[in-house]
Amino acid sequence: MTRRLTAVSEEAALEQLHEAGCTDGLPVVIPTPARVERMVLASGLDADVSLGQLGPNLGEATVEKAAIASVMAGCLPDYFPAVVAAVRAVSDPRMDMTEVQATTHNLGPLLIVNGPAVDACGIASGFGALGPGHRANASIGRAVRLAMISIGGGRPGTSDMALLGHPGKFTFCLGEDEEASPWPPLHTSLGYDIDQSTVTVACTEGPHSVLCFPDDDPEVYAEHLLNVLAASLSGLGANNTHFARGTQVLVLNPDHAIALADVGHDRTTIAEALHQRAKRSWSELSTVRARGSGINRHQRRQGEDPDLVVPALSSPDALLILVAGGTGLYSAVMPSWGAGPHGNGHLTVEIDLDQACEVPLPGSTQWASSAI
Amino acid sequence: MRDAIKAARLDTPAVALVTTKFSPQGDFVSRSAGMPDIPRVKLPHPVAGTGEKAMKMVADDIADEVLQALGATG
Repeated sequence: MTRRLTAVSEEAALEQLHEAGCTDGLPVVIPTPARVERMVLASGLDADVSLGQLGPNLGEATVEKAAIASVMAGCLPDYFPAVVAAVRAVSDPRMDMTEVQATTHNLGPLLIVNGPAVDACGIASGFGALGPGHRANASIGRAVRLAMISIGGGRPGTSDMALLGHPGKFTFCLGEDEEASPWPPLHTSLGYDIDQSTVTVACTEGPHSVLCFPDDDPEVYAEHLLNVLAASLSGLGANNTHFARGTQVLVLNPDHAIALADVGHDRTTIAEALHQRAKRSWSELSTVRARGSGINRHQRRQGEDPDLVVPALSSPDALLILVAGGTGLYSAVMPSWGAGPHGNGHLTVEIDLDQACEVPLPGSTQWASSAI
Repeated sequence: MRDAIKAARLDTPAVALVTTKFSPQGDFVSRSAGMPDIPRVKLPHPVAGTGEKAMKMVADDIADEVLQALGATG
């Protein structure tokens, strides 16, 4: 049931929402009934349809509540189908959102949008796609975070126990640059048709920059690139390296993607190559952690064998590879947590762009506000 | 916390072990799960990754409290 608040002005309503712990600390658009109703219409769903339960509060993520979060985040109604899909994803028990929100590790859901929704919503996928200035990216990602705060109850220090957090916990959404990519879009490798729209969610750390200079020899360039990516995916401080679990994300800039495609690589062969190369020996791991503190399944199986080689990726499928960002020297990796009952994997949900009702233009402002 | 609540719902005596820093979170989760009075014992923070020796010391320190929370007498 949505609790309804009243206030004498939008300024007063904003203060109420801040005080109630329903914001991310930044100003929000006041979710008046009229604004929320318009947002709900954009989904083509009834307001009380449940998209799932969000932990750790196990709050019911109804369409109306997701709409409230979307209004507050500054979404246009056109973006709402993407938010609905993303909320379905983070509410899915396989995403372990209770544990993701509760962990001391610094991770948050990264939303990767593919298909016609990228253009339909105007989601940026090029220069600075994860940075400021892109309304759709900023507000879609923020809507999911506000849902995680208000519906899921994730509040720092009491139920969101991240020791530091990261800026992507405000908003963390981008599209794949399907035009610049030398390969079919990411979602087609996850079982969807090219004309379907999807959001793929993986809970990760923020982007870690990976530098690789071009080389005159295409084979050498590709080899250098794979080596530095593998090293970055198996950092000695990364959970994945120690736990050998969890989805990691690799965002190749278009130049790096083309460099790999030029020598015959595709998404599958890159994932296989990096699964093979992103490894650390037990000797290396033992230099950075106490004996007996390991919970790595390889260690459990084989003991503390100095010759043991531990993969940072449990399989090639534990790496999501997309093409995004501007052209240049830098790609990025997002390591992850590698824990939780389901092992911190990824999930893809279709975005239904066809069900939206015609959304009326905004009318006059009403001061009665509703909060989640 | 949730594991303890699940066990308690099956009529299995249960006590949740929560580190001091996670105590407010434990309170939040027990309330949201509808069992605010689930017995709990606080542990020092952190316990994860502190090694077997430290864990045994913690276990020794809290054993009596755990038994009491489970309703042991005598």
